[in-house]
Amino acid sequence: MQKVPFTTGYLTAHCGDDAYGTLDGYKAEGGYETARRVLKKGTPEDLIETLKASGLQGRGGASFIAGQKWSFMPGAEDDTGPRYLVCNADESEPGSFKDRLLLERAPHLLLEGILLAAFAIRAEKTFLYVRGEYGEAIRVLTRAIEEARAGKVLGPRALGSRFAHDVVLVRGAGAYICGEETGLLESLEGKKGQPRKKPPYPAENGVFGRPTTVNNVETLCHVPHIVEKGADWFRGIGTAESPGNTLFGVSGHVVRPGLYELPLGTPLDEIVFEHAGGVAGGRKLKAVIPGGLSMAVLPAGQVDVPMANEFLRERQTALGTGGIIVMDDTTCMVRVACIITHFFREESCGQCTQCREGTGWMNRIVSRIERGEGRFEDLALLKDVCAKMEGKTICAFADAAAWPVQGLLRHFPQDFQSHVTHGQCPYPGSFVLA
Amino acid sequence: MTERVRIRVDDVEYEVDAGRTVLQALDDCGALFPERDGKRPEQTDALIPHYCWHPKLSIDGSCRLCQVEVRAGADAPPKLAIACNTPVSEGLVVDTKSETVAAARQGVMELLLINHPLDCPICDQAGECKLQDYAYTHGVDHARTREPRRKAKKRVDLGPTIVFDQERCILCRRCVRFCREVTGTGELGVFDRGDRSVLETFPDEPLDNAYSMNVADICPVGALTTKDFRFKMRVWFLEDVDGICTGCSRGCNVHIGVAKNAVQRYLPRRNDAVNGTWMCDDGRLSYHEIAREDRLTTCLVREQAIGEDSPQLRPASLDEAVAAVAARLRPLLDAKGPGVIAGIASAHASNEDLRAFKTFLDVLDVDTIGLAVARGDSDDLLVEAEKGANGAGARAVGFGALAPVADRIRGGGIEALIVLGHDLFADGSLDARALAGLDTVVAFDTHRSPVERVAHVVFPVRHAAEKDASYTNSAGIVQPVQRAVVPGPEVRDEGDFLQRIGAALGLAGFETETETEAESKAGDGAE
Repeated sequence: MQKVPFTTGYLTAHCGDDAYGTLDGYKAEGGYETARRVLKKGTPEDLIETLKASGLQGRGGASFIAGQKWSFMPGAEDDTGPRYLVCNADESEPGSFKDRLLLERAPHLLLEGILLAAFAIRAEKTFLYVRGEYGEAIRVLTRAIEEARAGKVLGPRALGSRFAHDVVLVRGAGAYICGEETGLLESLEGKKGQPRKKPPYPAENGVFGRPTTVNNVETLCHVPHIVEKGADWFRGIGTAESPGNTLFGVSGHVVRPGLYELPLGTPLDEIVFEHAGGVAGGRKLKAVIPGGLSMAVLPAGQVDVPMANEFLRERQTALGTGGIIVMDDTTCMVRVACIITHFFREESCGQCTQCREGTGWMNRIVSRIERGEGRFEDLALLKDVCAKMEGKTICAFADAAAWPVQGLLRHFPQDFQSHVTHGQCPYPGSFVLA
Repeated sequence: MTERVRIRVDDVEYEVDAGRTVLQALDDCGALFPERDGKRPEQTDALIPHYCWHPKLSIDGSCRLCQVEVRAGADAPPKLAIACNTPVSEGLVVDTKSETVAAARQGVMELLLINHPLDCPICDQAGECKLQDYAYTHGVDHARTREPRRKAKKRVDLGPTIVFDQERCILCRRCVRFCREVTGTGELGVFDRGDRSVLETFPDEPLDNAYSMNVADICPVGALTTKDFRFKMRVWFLEDVDGICTGCSRGCNVHIGVAKNAVQRYLPRRNDAVNGTWMCDDGRLSYHEIAREDRLTTCLVREQAIGEDSPQLRPASLDEAVAAVAARLRPLLDAKGPGVIAGIASAHASNEDLRAFKTFLDVLDVDTIGLAVARGDSDDLLVEAEKGANGAGARAVGFGALAPVADRIRGGGIEALIVLGHDLFADGSLDARALAGLDTVVAFDTHRSPVERVAHVVFPVRHAAEKDASYTNSAGIVQPVQRAVVPGPEVRDEGDFLQRIGAALGLAGFETETETEAESKAGDGAE
């Protein structure tokens, strides 16, 4: 793996060395002891209560309370057939690369998290759906699963308990939408990756028609630590509403792009200027996308915000996947809009009218403005198209396509206006569009 | 019994089955298409507009046009949701008219139209196009696009029955679900994604199944059109008449599209007890038989002209034909009695005509009677093996198996045969040779058929689309039909001819002037 700088915490403690690379190495660090204890002596109910008490928010982008998600699954009284855990390792949000580190450097931490989650929801099997481009992660995970089976960590008596579990690795084929949980389930079933309408929700009717919980990689990696050290310990980190550490992936115009494990609530400016070393080349900060491409941008003047949803919400953006994209003052925000809308136009699954047509229309409007053929009314038109898409479709993809455009228009209207006025891009030095 | 819940839609309360969604529940109680009676769904505005939802297909939830505001109770906050997939619950309040709903619908309509070719003037769907209709009622009246519209394939030949215009398609996927869920043939799919999504067949796999033309019915726009009706007639020139398909004993309900006193098409008419919303392609195309060249248009009487080797059927007037029957049957009756006469009914005749036939035979005291029906392929969906719309009606009137009648004919006990329809030889128990020795064969038929070869007198009768009558389907449901087109002046109902023949024979209760005649004198030309 390419070396990326990172700061460590409990999640990434051994991601810099090889300690977690093998089953023995992980066990030597006390790995699987928590799961062994819970699988033998714990109950699913207690486990769910612990998770709920910890307040762990899902790290896949939506920040849904993980324990609550588990509790939606049918209880022991439902014995109509199998139920499944799906680990969403299709990390595909542009700007987000945190799960990759965990997949490549802490596979057994993930497997332990999987075992605990599966025990909590009484799943007999986990589908580990890995982004197809993550070749190294797939290699590492395949070996880790084989090791775990051979070492009886997985199997009919997982970790010597009476709980049977197996993990099946499935490779994605490169669609962003297959990271959406029901799009993923469709893909897992061998179908075209198109999100499902809800209801039914996965906990009722998930993969292969069975109750299913979908959890993100990082979410599951928190679980062994929470169970081992307790909900109170976890609550002691981060903010009251958003406890725990998270992995911030910083990219763009910074001195030290990389992954930084920090408590939720760490100020964005601290992450950008201290941990990531500030803007590269001595230039000035212009804007930061705080949580992956689908979150609204923040202008330089608003980066003094703690990175937790309760604070980001006040600035009309959100934590998303914690992928922080930093842009300096040479960046043309219309070009940024071009790239973002092009991405979402390419990746829309095409089911819902507003998303299928809206993503394409936005991209065509923005491209026209970038070419210097824009009109002043296009700004209002763009906002209106966003409003027609937001909150009206099967999944959150249309929202994810609308929010960043809304953010750019909100904070950088002058960039758009300047293109219209001068009929050309005012940032000759800005990065070139592919 | 299913639990019932009460929901309120725009201040109207409905009691509906639990476990249904809002659109399903409204459809269950007949409220979704308030003016459905006598009109095709394409002609009436739905209470909640929708594209991808269809009462007989799975819920798709993708067109997003059926968005409404729902509240879990009168005091709960409103939430925008699609009516097709929102489960009903006790006290659910649905608002279909709020500003939020109107804006959401307008958004969908505008976005559906940004890439639509807007070629209504040359589009065959114009006039019964839901995109056109809802653009007027729920859409915007101007385009805000500067960009060129998406180019896609035109005039795609999807198979033997359907032509596809990819640019007009709004990707509702009704046709895809139809082929997967109803016919199980799965020929269609949506390929690629985003705004490059296109409906296609799989390579070298044409859309070819026994029900393929239904996809044109359920296509809300002019993307899928049938080769049969395409460019034949602007739909606003069509009058819709309720009829049934006479292809088999299912009796699928149809809308008969009529113009210029000719049937232009059949479309399935929804009847959940009979055919749901579908019909088979063979049945749909069976309307062509109404105006086919081999229709009988005059009475025929077999006569031998000077210089001919054998007698030939030749056109005759109604009076000549009736007199010819009487001249043949009267001496036979007087000499040998009714025991040498047999009557064979048809599954093509209406209940009214079958009753008239039975009465005629009863008054004559003929008791050698049976029913001739053709049988063919059947399937699990709609097509029944019995090829005739009214076999059940004929049996109910008293016409039973053909075999005893055939045995008596072959045994030489029969000298005269009165037969309805053209299925006399269908089951093989009788053929022209077996009937060659009969003194008299009187036939009533819509079309020329092999029966003619042995017939002495032939009467031209009306097709189901040409009469006000009723037919009983295989499930015993009596289905009325209305006259859609007026046949030639000499084409009449079986009962009408029989009435005249009875009168000519001097039978009790048979008058010279029939009701039909009086009616046609009074109202001829009205239709």
